[in-house]
Amino acid sequence: MYSLVLLNGGVGARLDAGRPKQLVTVGGLPILVYSLVAADAVQEITQIVLNYPPGWRDQVEEIVRSYAITTPVVYLEAGPTRHESVALGLARCSNERVIIHESARPLVTSADFHRLIEDPRPNVALMLPIPFTVAPVDPQTSRVTGSLDRSRLRNVQLPQKYALADLRAAHQWAAARDLVYTEDATLVVDAGHEVYFVAGSDRNLKVTTRTDVRLASFLLQGGDDGRDGFSG
Amino acid sequence: MAVTASVGKTILVTGASRGIGYQIARRFAGERDDYDTVLLLARPSEAFTAAAAGLAEGARAGVRVQAYPVDLADADELRAAVDAIHAEHPRIDTLVNNAGYANPVALQQIDFADFQHTVNVNVYAPFLLVQHLLHRGNTFELIVNVASTAGINGRAGWLTYSASKAAMITMSQVMREELALYGTRVVCVSPGRCATDLRRTLAPDEDPETIMRPADVAAVVDMLASGVGRFVDSANLVVRQ
Repeated sequence: MYSLVLLNGGVGARLDAGRPKQLVTVGGLPILVYSLVAADAVQEITQIVLNYPPGWRDQVEEIVRSYAITTPVVYLEAGPTRHESVALGLARCSNERVIIHESARPLVTSADFHRLIEDPRPNVALMLPIPFTVAPVDPQTSRVTGSLDRSRLRNVQLPQKYALADLRAAHQWAAARDLVYTEDATLVVDAGHEVYFVAGSDRNLKVTTRTDVRLASFLLQGGDDGRDGFSG
Repeated sequence: MAVTASVGKTILVTGASRGIGYQIARRFAGERDDYDTVLLLARPSEAFTAAAAGLAEGARAGVRVQAYPVDLADADELRAAVDAIHAEHPRIDTLVNNAGYANPVALQQIDFADFQHTVNVNVYAPFLLVQHLLHRGNTFELIVNVASTAGINGRAGWLTYSASKAAMITMSQVMREELALYGTRVVCVSPGRCATDLRRTLAPDEDPETIMRPADVAAVVDMLASGVGRFVDSANLVVRQ
């Protein structure tokens, strides 16, 4: 069985000043709802560790209640960084296997969780090929410093799954070196564990800007499903 | 954590003592083999008691017909009834919001309390049923909201009914979008002139044999709940002769 650490603590400065982004509505619903409902439908997820921005617990609890989420939820105040929020969440997980997800990716599906769960390897992340060229640079001098082979790079997505022991050990490893990571797959690898990737979907976008909200709403409402016959 | 489903499906029909609601219940209790529980909701009346008994008698073997007398205009009573229903039937697959009230009078003669009653029955009751069941974790496979062509175009003398049915049509659109989250289909059916008791009162000289019957509308709802229903559920479905 799995514990889901659902990251939900970020304040969306780029979206709506003063309002946490998980309370921003996408397709008319609070963005947090989509991940909660998708996870709640997965039998193997028996615990949700849900964090909330300081001062917003009541609103988050109200969403969980209103949408009749049946999976037991542990509420946890978010840490000062994403990295710390994950570490705090891990301390509350009651299962030996853990899935990390974030409410800012509302297009996640129950099938995404199932794919990770069914993968026999312990540490697996959804990742996407990079469809454009990235260049290494020196930002101080504005000098391009070389080239990168994009076929050997991936766009890191969520959800990801880990053996709790590996992810905990990785966070302890980082804490001992005062390192802060912006996501966990690369952290776990740097800490000496194996992590694999499976192909994600470009629909599973991270909602960060107002344009993302509109795009996600369009996708969630089936705007791209071709039902109107234009797609033959 | 997902909860596993039972074998036969359950349908809840409001306004089931007569007319379209009765015919829908009759069809699901007597003719379909995928539903084994038919729950009826209507105002307490002799007609309702008789209808429930008749439906139980005409039901297929193994089909349970259960009546819940409730005043749909009373929100507290309705909530209590939903709690009782949910305790006994934790999964309602199909909900038909059919109960309706109409008292067509001219604008200057409308009693405000009567307008409120119309909205209570035609708008708030279906909303409360859906919301209260969702709060209890009952996501639906299908919700059929019975509106009316009177909700599409207004006509003199029908202000309260038309306004309430217009609300039902747009409420259905919102429900359809929001409940897509669960894969719930929400269909709004708008019957035109139909040979109901109300119609007989309003047009006593009309021969009911010449116009659309409640059983015809029930057949459409039956189709919506069948395999092909998903192909015709994306709009307000006008059912009219």
